[in-house]
Amino acid sequence: MSHPVLDPRVAPPFPVAALPVLRNPQLRKNVAHATDVIQAKRARLVAEKADWQALRDSGAAIRDHVLDNLAHYLEQFEERCTAAGGVVHWAGDAAEARTLILNILREERADEVIKIKTMTSAEIQLNPFLGENGIAAHETDLAEIILQLGQDEPSHIVVPALHVNRSQVREIFARTMGLPDLSDDPQALTAAARAYLRKMFLTVPTAISGANFLIAETGSVVVVESEGNGRMCLTLPRTMITLAGIEKVLPRYQDLEVMLQVLARSATGERMNPYTSVWTGVTAGDGPQRFHVVLLDNGRTGILRSRRERQTLRCIRCAACMNACPVYRQTGGHAYGSVYPGPIGAILTPQLMNLEYAQSLPYASSLCGACYEVCPVKINIPEILIDLRAAVTERERAEERRFFDPMYVGLRMANKVFASASRFRAAQRMARLALRPFTGKDGWIRRLPGYASRWTMSRDLRGVPQQTFREWWAERNRKAMR
Amino acid sequence: MRASLFITCYNDTLFPETGQAVVRLLERLGVEVEFRPAQTCCGQMHANTGFRGEAFSLAKQFVRLYADAEAVVIPSSSCVAMVRDQYPHLLAELGTDALRREFETLLPRVHELSEFLVDVLQVEDVGAYFPHRVTYHASCHGLRALELGDRPLRLLNHVRGLELATLENLDRCCGFGGTFSVKNAEVSSAMLSAKLQDVLATRAEFCTALDNSCLIHLGGALHREYAPMRTIHMAEILASTQDAPAEMV
Amino acid sequence: MSRSVSTRAAILDRIRAASSASPAEIPAACAALPRNYGRHGQISANARIALLIERLREYDAEVAECAPGEIVQAIARVIESSGRRALVAPPGLPREWLVSACNWKIDDYLTHDEIEYAEGVVTGATCAIAESGTIVLHHTPAEGRRVLSLLPDWHLCVLRASQVVETLPEYFQRCGSPPALATFISGPSATADIEMTRIKGVHGPRFLNVLIVHDIVTN
Repeated sequence: MSHPVLDPRVAPPFPVAALPVLRNPQLRKNVAHATDVIQAKRARLVAEKADWQALRDSGAAIRDHVLDNLAHYLEQFEERCTAAGGVVHWAGDAAEARTLILNILREERADEVIKIKTMTSAEIQLNPFLGENGIAAHETDLAEIILQLGQDEPSHIVVPALHVNRSQVREIFARTMGLPDLSDDPQALTAAARAYLRKMFLTVPTAISGANFLIAETGSVVVVESEGNGRMCLTLPRTMITLAGIEKVLPRYQDLEVMLQVLARSATGERMNPYTSVWTGVTAGDGPQRFHVVLLDNGRTGILRSRRERQTLRCIRCAACMNACPVYRQTGGHAYGSVYPGPIGAILTPQLMNLEYAQSLPYASSLCGACYEVCPVKINIPEILIDLRAAVTERERAEERRFFDPMYVGLRMANKVFASASRFRAAQRMARLALRPFTGKDGWIRRLPGYASRWTMSRDLRGVPQQTFREWWAERNRKAMR
Repeated sequence: MRASLFITCYNDTLFPETGQAVVRLLERLGVEVEFRPAQTCCGQMHANTGFRGEAFSLAKQFVRLYADAEAVVIPSSSCVAMVRDQYPHLLAELGTDALRREFETLLPRVHELSEFLVDVLQVEDVGAYFPHRVTYHASCHGLRALELGDRPLRLLNHVRGLELATLENLDRCCGFGGTFSVKNAEVSSAMLSAKLQDVLATRAEFCTALDNSCLIHLGGALHREYAPMRTIHMAEILASTQDAPAEMV
Repeated sequence: MSRSVSTRAAILDRIRAASSASPAEIPAACAALPRNYGRHGQISANARIALLIERLREYDAEVAECAPGEIVQAIARVIESSGRRALVAPPGLPREWLVSACNWKIDDYLTHDEIEYAEGVVTGATCAIAESGTIVLHHTPAEGRRVLSLLPDWHLCVLRASQVVETLPEYFQRCGSPPALATFISGPSATADIEMTRIKGVHGPRFLNVLIVHDIVTN
């Protein structure tokens, strides 16, 4: 299979990108299995939590409050983090962030770094950039190792290698770690990863992390994880660099009481994930003595501008939406052409790119609403998808693209038709006539030409009945009046 | 009680038997049914594909048409969701204050069919007879946007002779999604294929729902597969009696 | 340098242009946010401890209990049955807990390699949350630097019953001022990255032992 492209600027549109995945039963099976498992665990835990809806309400309210007052909370975070010995940097876009991080690493004379999994670093395409500049970036999260050694790309923001099964992992590890006799038992695979990483943890002096949350009140960073590689990276090295989107901030330490309760249940279907670490600046004698935070904009301030769309930034990266999504279940994450796939990706990715790219993503949804139902911070994803479709359409009309697109032609015509009942009746009669040649003796249509063949590729269509409802009603009235 | 039927553009053209069933059912329950011929479409297709201005003009048409109706009954959850969830935004953005006020007084009088039966007429046993094995698919708009809950099942449970077969993964989307079914035809078909596995596993004779949009998609695949199952809108089951059984179209 | 400064200003300007809230109202707005979720425990102290033990055992942590006067014996028993002898301890751990059967290294800025060669570590804790089986360390002198409870493969955590709360919000209420460092531990490390099969023991201690000291007088 060709290497997936997760750059929205060059990725193929969703309907095209989905095709090879749909023809890959193993991949679809892996994705369905993984999402089913987390969904089932999540459902059980949510059912036992009587105050689940109240937690969602508070989660949404706290995140909205932060976004309403983002400048205040970011400045507070910066002040407290700096007072505690951290150095805070601001990056307007991906290129600035990459350069800032490179400069820090150069000052440290680092030729390698260990990384805690962070989608934000994938968003700014950090690893290839560091590689080009002679710095090896070693992923330490098990899923990220599987992807790095397998030269693959993440397909999910919490379980990035969910599209890979155990025998595929075995093959990757056996080949790259030189372990020809490795079994495919997950226990053995995990043990191999543990051994492979132990030395790295103890010797590489520089680490890069993301942040699940930034606490404004204290200037602290919060990292939520399962394996312990995070704890290794944020404790053992001499220098730590944390890259965080500006929207990650929470007002107070206490606000974690809401976020931690909803995050683990939503992300992995656990009451609490194995390890959550909180640290503040630099603590003498404990952990990295040099600490940098790079705050990243990269399109987030653009999203803030819209009152309705800004709820996109409430996201706490739990991935419950993609676990619930029936579209994602069939296509997996690579089809979205972005490090943020699934429902959240369908709204976040195009907005981060100011709608110049990823324009097919808002249409990659049947608007079923399952995502909204599970979102711990109540992001109304279907509503935003519809708004983005309107925005994309406006652009296309302004640029006079797609004027002759059959869908657009059809919709423009339909609107004229719907404007008057008599035109509508005429159109109904025309449709009946036009479809008659395609209608079989049993009253069903098996094949339609042109754009409409997209329907008949997998479904028949019952022919247009001889009498519409309104014709029947009119006739009934005439009969009644006699 | 006088109810004004908004048949919906696609039911009018493709599923007139559903509208006929709604009329038969409501008249049997003592409701006077009227049909305003000026009606066409609620505008959902346009709104969901990004044609806001066009959707707004249809919204305005709808609000004006039914301003004085005692009740508006719609046998389609997605159209009701359009009115409830999207009309407020469209009217806020593009409408006048007067129009918004008209809409606000109209909104409580707009009902999906099962809502009208259970909440307004306060009836669950509509006197129906349909001696077949039936499975029920919960359309996404009905389930999540309208929160119909167990109203549909309560109605089905009172249908004499009906054997209800539970559908696994009842709340998973069938993949229709309006224009999604052609814009993303392959993904829509993959979702349909998965849904069909669950539907066929019920060994039911009929698959029913409150939305013909889901059923045109499911039914189209069942027919393509020569499956021993057909689709039928719930209105037709509820309208079916021993003396006047549902017509198998 | 100046580039970062101007970027900072540009970002903050863009943010402010998108907001309308006045800074003076922020604390009040924050305090007025809805918080109707459970913030107090509902169950008795005994039930709380029982729940904690159940949750810890679900995570395959080993749990022992003792009365306050028997801590030292209990610690000795737990360590003995583990077969481990070369242990590290934080500087603030009570001296009497350093049972004689073991070779102890007290952490006075031990090197990472020295800690890596230890077979286990004994620490206290700040709090435990019964609902999720979570132990919270604030890395006080009795709990030790973070590396101490990270590198050794075996961790014995001595927890007083009075430190146990039922819900997460109760931990935050007890906090007073937020700690500079905190680690929340909910079972030994695990991954579900391979086919969603939960595998224990990737990094971090693979063996977690909890000794609960019943220091609450209950009816």
